[in-house]
Amino acid sequence: MEPEASQAVVFRDVTKTFNKTFRALDGLTFSIKRGELYGLIGPNGAGKTTSIRVMTGLVSAGGGQVSVLGLQPNDPAVRSHVGYMPQETALYLDLTVRENLELFGRLYDMDKKYLKARIKELLEFVNLTDWADKVITELSGGMQHRASLAAALLPKPKLLILDEPTVGVDPELRATFWDRFRSMQAEGTTILITTHYMDEAMRCERVGLVNHGRLIAEDAPAELIRKTGTKSLEDAFLKLAGRKEVAK
Amino acid sequence: MKVAHVTAIARKQFLTLKHDRRSLALMLFAPVMAMLIFGFAFGNSPKHIPVIIVNQDKGGSATKLVDKIDHDTLQLTSSSDADWARQQVRDGKAVGAVIFGPDFTAESSPSVSVRLVAGKPVAVPQPPKGAHAQVYLDTTNQQLSAVVIPSLASATLKLAQDQGAKSPIAFDLSYAFSKAKDARYIDYFVPGIMAFAVMLFTTLLTLLAFVSERTSGTLNRLRVSPATEAEVVLGYELAFGLIAAVQGFLVLAVAIWVYHILVLGPLWVAALLVVLTAVTAQAIGILVSAAAQREGQAIQFIPFIIFPVFLLSGIFVPVASLPGWLRPFCYLIPPTWSIDALRDVMLRGWGVDRVWLNVTILAVFTVVFTLLAIAGLKRRNA
Repeated sequence: MEPEASQAVVFRDVTKTFNKTFRALDGLTFSIKRGELYGLIGPNGAGKTTSIRVMTGLVSAGGGQVSVLGLQPNDPAVRSHVGYMPQETALYLDLTVRENLELFGRLYDMDKKYLKARIKELLEFVNLTDWADKVITELSGGMQHRASLAAALLPKPKLLILDEPTVGVDPELRATFWDRFRSMQAEGTTILITTHYMDEAMRCERVGLVNHGRLIAEDAPAELIRKTGTKSLEDAFLKLAGRKEVAK
Repeated sequence: MKVAHVTAIARKQFLTLKHDRRSLALMLFAPVMAMLIFGFAFGNSPKHIPVIIVNQDKGGSATKLVDKIDHDTLQLTSSSDADWARQQVRDGKAVGAVIFGPDFTAESSPSVSVRLVAGKPVAVPQPPKGAHAQVYLDTTNQQLSAVVIPSLASATLKLAQDQGAKSPIAFDLSYAFSKAKDARYIDYFVPGIMAFAVMLFTTLLTLLAFVSERTSGTLNRLRVSPATEAEVVLGYELAFGLIAAVQGFLVLAVAIWVYHILVLGPLWVAALLVVLTAVTAQAIGILVSAAAQREGQAIQFIPFIIFPVFLLSGIFVPVASLPGWLRPFCYLIPPTWSIDALRDVMLRGWGVDRVWLNVTILAVFTVVFTLLAIAGLKRRNA
């Protein structure tokens, strides 16, 4: 593991148990370098979303050490620099797209004039300019997802956390999203993505394969495929997960 | 703590209501509707109670007394047959029969007897013997029968006053609150139902709004933003406090225009009490929401909010009349304090200088429940 200063996110032996029985994180250890595009890959219930909830300070870790941008996850100083797009739409359904974005802009202390320009830019990016003044319930699922992404990108965060960001998004728009992620990364933004799509995972610089709340492998996607002697990341994951199971 | 964050949350709440007109209507008009329904159902004294008058009096006293009876309260019919009247009561056709005997006037009037004093006849005034009217009552409906005797007593009193207290019975009345001497049950009832309606709907809407915040994921998005839990709760309080102020004036307006209730004290103190009740109620709503995973579960909490407030806060039965062991629970319910103070302001004409204790206790409730709501918001997500 590299020095802490160069790390955007550090998880060291992190545990989290729900209802005293379900161990969602079981000594999870991984780190994300500043400016890196990192993918957290794993099946449902592997611990991806719990990791994100710990990272964003929504839940506290049961044990181990967590640092985000060099601080504790629940430190108020971290909040201004983290953009978060949850799996669900997580927008006020009775507000318009613009009103939702204005609300979050105000909460991120954005200047009124700048906020207006930023909203215009983001609406163009997510292709919702014509829908800006529609309430969220009038939007299709894909549109709601795009509006949610716009809300996450709003504060130009140092760390952008995207939980399944391209679910329900058509292939053309997915490509546009990924172009945006790449350009944000080029500008120095650290991006963490969880995804089920292995082709998307291939676009990450590094991926961490998570299963049963533990990291079973971590490397560049091509390197994982090479090391496991498989033809795809999916096969690599299955092989690694299988070996782990056997080892247990 | 940033005021901008608090106002952003409050603004969001207003925008939500702008788009969700149904909730806005529920917030503003449901308490009014509840007041109207409860007020008309419970707040009016029984009227038009059928009573048969059997007047066999040879003089005019019974007729005078019958004239003094409030004909709006008792619906009087006349008969000369006492047995038929009693049968009508037994048949459930009338709640009561009042039978004045032939000597009613003679027995209710003073008489003069002649005595010989030093061999000369002298007229000596004698007090009335005391007149009796028979009242034959069906007491199976207490609400109606309980009104008959006071109506007759009131008529007797009025007759006595007309006769310059020459009647066998006379009452000298004075009033502690002379402006409220004509206060009706509705004047006593409306402040209670007003606080109840505001409490119920504010708690309910905040509870549902916050459960929705949790289930839709927006609360998580807020918590990841620089807004703190305290700012979120205070933003809600600001929005609901302002709505409650409108709500307070609206219910007061209905109370005044529809029920013509007495408001002898300053209106703004009454409105302040309504606002404090609403803000406490919304903090309770946020607090309770921590225990609900979804809207369906939230609904299950409603009886636990309605019944204690409805039965123990003094809306119907004064807290002092409840069993001693139950009273401490009554004082733990915020509306108990607001209803008490609202009655003091509206019926006794007291100002904030006399109800400051209730205002302070409500403010303490508001602060305590707000702090608990903030703590609950943190804990629920830990």
